[in-house]
Amino acid sequence: MKRHAIHKSLAAAAMAFCLAWGAPAQAQSEASAALSLLPVASIVASTGAASAAAGAVVVLPAALSVAGAVLTVQAVQVSALSTVYVLERASDGARVSVELSDRAAAAAVHGVGTVVTCSVIATGVILSAAGEVLAFVPNALGRALLHNERL
Amino acid sequence: MRAIHNMIWAVALLAAGAVQAGRSCEPQHLGAQTLGRGMQLAASTVRALDDSGARVVLLARAGQDLSAYGLRYSHLGWAYRTAEGPWRVAHKLNDCGSDRGYLYRQGLGEFFLDDLWRHEAVWAVPTPEVQQRLLALLQDGRRTTLLQHAPYSMVSYAWGQRYQQSNQWALETLAMAMEPDTVRTRVQAQAWLRFKGYAPTVLRIGPLTRLGARVSAANVAFDDHPNEKRFADRIETVTVDSALAWLQAARLAAAPERLVP
Repeated sequence: MKRHAIHKSLAAAAMAFCLAWGAPAQAQSEASAALSLLPVASIVASTGAASAAAGAVVVLPAALSVAGAVLTVQAVQVSALSTVYVLERASDGARVSVELSDRAAAAAVHGVGTVVTCSVIATGVILSAAGEVLAFVPNALGRALLHNERL
Repeated sequence: MRAIHNMIWAVALLAAGAVQAGRSCEPQHLGAQTLGRGMQLAASTVRALDDSGARVVLLARAGQDLSAYGLRYSHLGWAYRTAEGPWRVAHKLNDCGSDRGYLYRQGLGEFFLDDLWRHEAVWAVPTPEVQQRLLALLQDGRRTTLLQHAPYSMVSYAWGQRYQQSNQWALETLAMAMEPDTVRTRVQAQAWLRFKGYAPTVLRIGPLTRLGARVSAANVAFDDHPNEKRFADRIETVTVDSALAWLQAARLAAAPERLVP
C-alpha cells in the first residue's frame, strides 16, 4: 500500500513536471547572452554603380540598393577569421562581396547557388535566404544602434 | 520496488532532456522579420529618447508573455546617451540558460533583437539628480560592476544575496549610485531599497511548478527564498512592472512612457 502511494506520487511528480515544463516559472528577467548572433557584415568589394538608397550616409553598392532584389551566392570564401560571400544580382550581373566574422557566419552557412533576397530598411540592408538572415549590412544609423561589450 | 526505481529514472531522464532543451549558446537562426522589427523598435526608441532630452533612462522590453503573473515587461537595464551620441544599455544577461549572469554594455539594437514577445519599449526618465548620479556610475566600468553577483536565478529572492537576477542588479546599482558613501554591498543596497519603499512582485508559484522548474532549468532556483514564504508559494522577486511603479511613487522618476512603433 505504501509502495503504491509512493509510486502514485512519483507518477504525479513526473506528470506535473511534464506539464510544468514549457512554462515553469518563466517569471521574468529572461535575457540571455545567446542573443548576440547578429551576423553583421561589411562590404569588401563591389562592381556596378554605387547608391545611397538605403541610408543618408553610407553608400551601398548597386547590387544591394534595391529592396526585393534577388541575388545568388556565387562563391563562399572561408578563412580562419571570416567568411566572404560573393553575391551576384540576377537582373544585371552586378556583384558584391560581403564579409562576416567567423562567429557571425557560424549560424548561417549557405552554399553556392543559394538565392538571397535583399531587404532595405531604415538601419541598413538585410540579406536573407528563405527568411533566415545571412547578413546585415548596417548603415550609419544602424551602426550607432549596435554595440556589444561584456563588462 | 522495481517500478519505483524505473519511475525515478524516468523523472531523471526527463529532467536531463529538459535541461538540454533549454536556451543554449549554440548558433541560432535569426529571422529576417525579427531583425527588421527589432532594429525598427531600436531606432524609434532612440529617436524618442533623443527628443526627451534625457541622458539616462530605465529601459525595458517585453521578452516573454508574463500575463499569467499580471506582468507586462520582462527585462530592464539602464540606458544612457554617451558623450559621442549613441545610446548604450548596461544590463545583466543570463549566460545561455546557465546558473550564471554577467553584465554587458550593448546598443539598443542588441537590446531589442531578442525574439520579443511584444514589440514594445517602455522607459522611465529619472529626475535630473538621479540621472546625474547614474550617469557618473555608468560611465565608470568599475563602479558599474561593483554589485554584480554572477550566481543567477531568474526568480531570485529580492532581499537575498545568494543569487542575483538582471532587474535586481539594476535596482541595487541604483541604490549605490544614489548613496555612494554608504551603499557598497548588496545588503546595504537592499536596505536602501526597503527604506525607499520598494516592494517586489509576489509571484504565486506552487510546489509542483517549482519542482519542475528547478529540475529542468539551471537558471531557476528557489532555495534562496525564506521557507515560510516559499512554502506559502510566495516568490518575491524584482520585476520591471514593480520597479516602474516604485520609481514613480518614490518620485525618483517620471511616469513610464511606452512606445509601440
